[in-house]
Amino acid sequence: MGRHFLKDQDFQAFLRALLKAKAVVGPVAKKHKFVFARLEAPGDLRLDYDVTILPPKKEFSPTSQDLVRFDGARFEGCVEPQEKILFGVHFYDVKALDMTDLLFKEKNDDRNYTAHREAATIVVSNIQKVAPRAFWASIGSEVKPKGHDAWLTKISGGYVFETRTAKGEALLQYGKFVPATEAQFRAARQANEDILKKCPEKLQGSSAEVAKKVRAAFSREELWTKFAKDCFSCGSCNTVCPTCYCFDVQDWWNVDQKSGARTRTWDACLTEDFAKISLGSGAAENFREERAERFRHRFMRKSAYLNPKLGGPACVGCGRCSMACTADIADPVRVINEILEA
Amino acid sequence: MTKENIFLPQEAKILRVEKTTGLERIFTLRLADGSSLSFEPGQILEVGLFGYGEIPIGVASSPTRKKTFDIVVRSVGRVSQALNRLSEGDSLFIRGPWGKGFPLENLRGHDLLIIAGGIGLCPTRSLIQYILDRRQEFKRFILFYGARDPQQQLFAHDLADWRQAKDVEYHETVDRGTPGWQGNVGVITTLFSKTPIEADTRVVICGPPIMFKFVIRELDKLGVAPENIFVDLERRMKCGVGKCGHCQINDQYVCTDGPVFSLAQIAPLEEAI
Repeated sequence: MGRHFLKDQDFQAFLRALLKAKAVVGPVAKKHKFVFARLEAPGDLRLDYDVTILPPKKEFSPTSQDLVRFDGARFEGCVEPQEKILFGVHFYDVKALDMTDLLFKEKNDDRNYTAHREAATIVVSNIQKVAPRAFWASIGSEVKPKGHDAWLTKISGGYVFETRTAKGEALLQYGKFVPATEAQFRAARQANEDILKKCPEKLQGSSAEVAKKVRAAFSREELWTKFAKDCFSCGSCNTVCPTCYCFDVQDWWNVDQKSGARTRTWDACLTEDFAKISLGSGAAENFREERAERFRHRFMRKSAYLNPKLGGPACVGCGRCSMACTADIADPVRVINEILEA
Repeated sequence: MTKENIFLPQEAKILRVEKTTGLERIFTLRLADGSSLSFEPGQILEVGLFGYGEIPIGVASSPTRKKTFDIVVRSVGRVSQALNRLSEGDSLFIRGPWGKGFPLENLRGHDLLIIAGGIGLCPTRSLIQYILDRRQEFKRFILFYGARDPQQQLFAHDLADWRQAKDVEYHETVDRGTPGWQGNVGVITTLFSKTPIEADTRVVICGPPIMFKFVIRELDKLGVAPENIFVDLERRMKCGVGKCGHCQINDQYVCTDGPVFSLAQIAPLEEAI
């Protein structure tokens, strides 16, 4: 679709008009880190963020989400999508959303996710600052980000705004956009290419090589035991991951003990009881009892199992898991590169 | 919009509750809207009660039978204990059926051996009834059932019928005998010495996780090919719709890709058995 340009001095007015018209979620500062949050004022938006603590997935699959509300024997679903704009999403997070879009939709379309996703407009921002553990330049580069409506790139003097869909075009009415010149467009493309050279971490193999070697390493128990030796089974790596989407479902009552909700919350396959079942009479079976088994499962999911479906790995190189891991053992680059070297 | 919500259950009325062992109850159910539940033997339901939650349960009766269906609930946790407090006339709430059941097309026209251990008799009862109702479609029909002790045996009426029946070769055993028990004592694999099994037999296995390995070893000795062995696997099928992740075996979701798999299908999956 179109290539547009917005001058620096017109950017705040654009945001102000947008915020007045729509619910806008974007990266904002939280102490020394960043989070996606509802923008209250144009000045809240921090397009100079490196990475957010949690990925934007939470806008469509919130940490806690009612699936069914009940009152006695009466019950109703609660798919209640609200229009919103996600403004300033980095391309790696769009790739992750492409994955969760597919996974929530396939087989049994989960409207509790997809309806929220369809109601959203996504505006990508070019990466202005690189996160300390990022490796998005070297993972799954054959998979391009799809599910966005516009792409905003900061260049000297203003922003190039490339619209991809009608929803993206619809945002033009809120700002003093002018057609981008060829030079401005080239500068934007250059900015998006240059940043790819600045990733601090690098994976040493193609997606196909990684998938093959990681899968082949499944039975190397000693390797996984070593990798997972310091694992606390806390699930932080899962919680911050933009492509993790596992959840638990629990019922709860309101104080009347009659009405309540069936609610899903994020779950994590690294936690001890994730695959555990009761057998009765106090007996239980845990299908991934060992930390090494759970650690391995995550790596298989991220680098091999889903590739045929996704066209590449289920990891986008955001580096959030590397940063969130207390024991600093979750870093996919370190683990995968070690497997590749072997 | 709400009609598309895959987490919306439907109400089922309890027509009958039968206490079968100390832990399990058999519920005979009918959909509250009067329609018939359409399912295949081996498929699962998510069975729930609001305020407690949902649990995966295989249907324990055959689709060939009436407008009702059976489930067996073993009291192991919060949801199952709440379900087992229900009585005739009460309602519970189901979603499904989900997943792939027993491959009837592969079983028809062949000798069949069903090996059920413990509560594994519940989902296989769906298939057993189906076979007995359409007996002419199948050849020799052998059934092995193992329980921990005689008190743990499920479906006493069915067992009594099968012991007498001409159209099923029924063999049973218990791990531990009790005074008065006249039958076999020993693990389920001891039943293999009771009757000859042809290598071309189609075999269905359902039971506690520990049982599979030993049974498969016996079948291997008999020369039964992995593609003719079907296992009904147990995992934590929390959502039933292939999303929540708890039932994953390597890259497979047991709730949607299974719960019935051929042994050949799961042979490359290190986590399956």
